[in-house]
Amino acid sequence: MPIHVSNERSPVVSAAGRFDAYSVSDISNQLSSLLDEGIVDIWVDLSETDFIDSTALADLVRFMKRARAAGGELTLWKPSDAVRVILELTSLDLAFSISSNGAIPGVTDSDRRS
Amino acid sequence: MGVSEYRKWKRNQIEGDPYLSVVIPTYNEEVRIVPTIGAIANHVSSLGFDWELVVSDDGSTDATLELVRDLELVNMVIIEATHNTGKGGAVRRGVAASQGEFILFADADQSTPIEQIGAFIDKIESEGLDIVIGSRSAGGADVANKSFVRTLLSAGLNKIVRAAFGLRFKDTQCGFKLFRSDVGKKIFSVASIDGFSFDLELLYIAQKAGLGVAELPVQWHDAPDSKVSGGRVALRFLADMPIIILNHLRGRYSLKD
Repeated sequence: MPIHVSNERSPVVSAAGRFDAYSVSDISNQLSSLLDEGIVDIWVDLSETDFIDSTALADLVRFMKRARAAGGELTLWKPSDAVRVILELTSLDLAFSISSNGAIPGVTDSDRRS
Repeated sequence: MGVSEYRKWKRNQIEGDPYLSVVIPTYNEEVRIVPTIGAIANHVSSLGFDWELVVSDDGSTDATLELVRDLELVNMVIIEATHNTGKGGAVRRGVAASQGEFILFADADQSTPIEQIGAFIDKIESEGLDIVIGSRSAGGADVANKSFVRTLLSAGLNKIVRAAFGLRFKDTQCGFKLFRSDVGKKIFSVASIDGFSFDLELLYIAQKAGLGVAELPVQWHDAPDSKVSGGRVALRFLADMPIIILNHLRGRYSLKD
């Protein structure tokens, strides 16, 4: 699964393809590094994520809590239909900040490499 | 499109028999089942036909059933078992309860992504087949994260099976198989193996009956923490092979009405 971090002002971590227990450590490392650096407003681009499993969801919850505890927010950006349904079924759509429209502040299309 | 169609499917009971039944056998799948149902529900709902989901539980002792019940999906049927019988038993009960014109059984871990169902339906419909089976060994298959030991065991078993049973299939065990309903129900009514070798028994029955079976290469991801122990399954497989041959010799696999 290709994972990219772009834009220092509003970091975007993109998780394309299958986001599961095999790929979760890559994205966790990226999120952990950002939070360790004191960057607490983070966007996770799930627009091209085909499938997300329980391990990945649990990790996102963990980082959401860390971001909020530090006064920031971890926002899920444009979750794909499959991810949105999974979020609804697990009721995690009520817990996460989800942005389905518009641009990420300070991010241009060229910042969002895929 | 997908989400709105899913929401309609979630709330509105379909009228009449569905075109497709998707059977998911479960046993202690509390960690995996909800994302899998979500992926399946989103994709199949977007295909534009009526369908039902059949969760056939096999005596789970964790929270699988509670989680599934709480989803409150009106077009989902839940089959419960008083005790664990094995994957074959769960699939058999699920198929028996299915109302669809076609029946797919798919593993609870989404190891074969549901997005491939369209190609299976096209194949079975356009070629007038009885069964289309997923294959991780056919040309064009894309297999990710399968361990070396599992790959080796699968290849070895497959060679033994092909030699002993004369089966032409390259992969009997992939948990993604589509049946024409009448054919699937007939096969499962004479099949008797409850464990992981049930796939082999199904295909043996189908080949002996001269049914139209095709293999399609699939994209397949090994599921982390798989409950499948390669060594144990291999031993069970070898033990079940003579049972299948004996059943055939005793005429137990006749599909005549």
